[in-house]
Amino acid sequence: MENNTLLSIKNLQTYFELKRWGFLSAGFVKAVDGVSFELAKGESVTIVGESGSGKTTLLRTIMGLAKPTGGEMVFDGRRLNGERGQMGRDTRWLRSQVGFVQQDPYGALPSFMNVRRILREPLIVNKVKKEEQEHRVRESMEEVRLIPADDFLPKFPHMLSGGQQQRLVIARAIILHPMLIAADEPVSMLDASVRVEILELIGRIQRDHNLAVIYVTHDLSSVRYFSQRAFVMYAAKMVEKADVREIVNNPLHPYTQVLLNAIPDPDAQNATRFRDVPPGEPPSLINPPAGCRFHPRCQHIIEGLCDEEEPPEFEPEPHHFVECWLYK
Amino acid sequence: MSARTEKSPKRAGASARFQGPLLRVEELCLHFHASYGVVRAVEGVDFELARGQTVAVLGESGCGKTSLARAILRLLPRNIARYSGKVFLEGTDIMKLSEERFRHDIRWNKISMVSQSAMNSLNPVLKVGYQVAEPLLLNHMGKDQAFERARQVFGIVGVPPAFLDRYAFELSGGMRQRAIIAMALIADPVMVILDEPTSALDVLTQANIMNALKRIKQELNLNFMLITHDIATSSELADEVLCMYAGQLVEHSKAERFYREPLHPYAQKLMASVPTLRVDKKPEFITGQPPSLFNPPEGCRFAPRCHKRFDRCQEEPPLFVHGDETVKCWLYENR
Repeated sequence: MENNTLLSIKNLQTYFELKRWGFLSAGFVKAVDGVSFELAKGESVTIVGESGSGKTTLLRTIMGLAKPTGGEMVFDGRRLNGERGQMGRDTRWLRSQVGFVQQDPYGALPSFMNVRRILREPLIVNKVKKEEQEHRVRESMEEVRLIPADDFLPKFPHMLSGGQQQRLVIARAIILHPMLIAADEPVSMLDASVRVEILELIGRIQRDHNLAVIYVTHDLSSVRYFSQRAFVMYAAKMVEKADVREIVNNPLHPYTQVLLNAIPDPDAQNATRFRDVPPGEPPSLINPPAGCRFHPRCQHIIEGLCDEEEPPEFEPEPHHFVECWLYK
Repeated sequence: MSARTEKSPKRAGASARFQGPLLRVEELCLHFHASYGVVRAVEGVDFELARGQTVAVLGESGCGKTSLARAILRLLPRNIARYSGKVFLEGTDIMKLSEERFRHDIRWNKISMVSQSAMNSLNPVLKVGYQVAEPLLLNHMGKDQAFERARQVFGIVGVPPAFLDRYAFELSGGMRQRAIIAMALIADPVMVILDEPTSALDVLTQANIMNALKRIKQELNLNFMLITHDIATSSELADEVLCMYAGQLVEHSKAERFYREPLHPYAQKLMASVPTLRVDKKPEFITGQPPSLFNPPEGCRFAPRCHKRFDRCQEEPPLFVHGDETVKCWLYENR
C-alpha cells in the first residue's frame, strides 16, 4: 500500500498575505486551509467546488506554482515542503512529473508558436535529445488523435478549433510522460458536444498509461463518468471525500446535498418548480466564520456547536469522510 | 405585481388590440463582412412566439444564437453585409421603423436585453441605482419617479433597496446579475432577451437567479428569450426551444418534446451529449466540427456529421411541420 501512494497531503495550508506595512500585516487570504488526502498511482479523483473555494489554489500548490505555508506534501516518496535552497531542484523535478491542462486552451497556448514548437518547448527545457524530440512530438500527437500529425505540425493555435486546441494542451501535458495530470476545468470553455470527447480522451490516456489525474471542476454532472473518487471543497476546506457514486447518490454533508440539489438535468418539468437553494454567498476567506464554515447557510445547524467549534473529519460509512458535526 | 398593475392600462390596451403572436420572425438574415469573405451568421430564420411563452435558443458556440438576438434588437456592428427579413412585434413590422423610432419605441421599452457578462460591465464610478434608473431618466421621467421605479424592480429581482446607493464593486456576482436583470425590466418591456445570464456564476448562485427568473415570469407574464449553450439550465425556464445549427434554425419544439425526444438528428445528438446527474446514461459526442459560416456546405448543413443521412440530404430541406413542431430535416417530409 505504502509504495502505491503517489501523492500524500497532510493538513496543507496555502495562505496569501494581503498588503503589509512594516511589521503590520493586513491579514491573509486563507485559500487552502488544512486539506488532507492521499492519491494512489493511476487513480483519478475530482475536486468539486464553487469559484473561490480554493480548488485551483490547491492544484497550483500541488504543482509547485504556489508555495504552501504549512502542512506536508509527499510526492512519489519525496517530501516537498518548500524549504529554501531545496525548492528549486524539487520544483523542477516536480514539474516534469505533473502535466497541467489549463482551463482556457487558447489562453494557454502561445499564439506566436506553431504546434511543433509548442510541443517541443517542454522537451527543450528538460534537455531531451534533439533526435528524440520529433519522435516524442509525434507520439503524443497520436495519443490525443491530432492526426495526421503532418497537417497539424505547422499550424498556429488560432487555426485550430476549440476541441483541437484543448487536445494540443493535453498533448503538451503528457509529452514528458508525467505520473500525474492536473486538469483545471479542462472542458468548461468547450461546447457540450465536444466536452464528452475531451473527457473520454483524458480517461483513455489515464487508463493506457496508468496515470493519476486530479480533475478540478464545478460541474458535478460530468464527474461520474470520469473519476473514482470525488472531493468536495467549500471555503478552503475539504468537507466531503468519498466514492463518486456515494457522493451523487448518498451525499452526507449538507453543502454537498444543496449543491446536488441545485444542478438541473434537462427536463421540461424543471420550469414548473422552484429549486431549494440556500440564500447567501460563500464566506470571505480572510475572515471565515467560526466553527463550521457552512453554518450560516446550513439548515441542520446545531446551535452552540456548529457555530463555535470546527468539525473534525468523521467517517460515518467506510471510505466516506465528512467534516460535519451531524455525524459525530 | 404592483408595478405591473400601475402600468397595466397601456399593456392591456395593446394586447386587447392585437391577439396574434407576440413575436413573428420571417426569413431573418444577418451576414457580416470579414476579411476573408461574408460570414452568414443568421440565415433564413422563421419562428413565432406566443405571448407569455419563454423560448430557449440552444446551439453550439458560433451557431448564430447571439447574432439572432442582435438582429431582432437591431444592435448591429458596422460590417453588415446583409440584414433582411421581417420581424413583427405585436403585429407591427419593426424592421421597417426608422432607426430613431426603433430606438425610441422598441429598444428597451418593448424589448430589452441582458447581454453576456453584462454584470462585469457596470460602470464602477456610478451608483448601481442610477445605472438601473438611467433608461427612464433618458426617457424624460422625473428623477424621483425613476428612482421609485428602480426600487420596485429591485424588489422584483430580490435585491434589498439599500443596494441602490452602492457601487458595483460592493455587490457580489449574483447581486450584480440581479441588478442587470432589474435594468432590463425597468422600462416594463414585453420581451427580455437573456444572453447566457448565468454562465459566469456558481452553481448555487445560478440556481438562485433561475428561481428569481421563474418568479418574474410567473408574476409579470413576460416573454423571455433565453440564449444559452447550457442545455440542462435552459430547461429551468423554457416553454419552447429553438435549436440552431450553423446559422439556421433546425428545430422549434415545445419543451416537453425537446428535452424528452427531439426530432432533428442534430438535436438528438446534442441532447445525448449532455451529462446527467441522476439518470444513468453514457453521454455521446458528435464527431466532426460545425461547418464554417462563410462557406457552408450545400444542402443540409448537418448532413456531413449526421448518422441518418440519405440521398435527399444533398438538397437543402425546408422547415417541415410535424405536429406542433417544425423541423428542418428531410426525414419528416412525408408525415
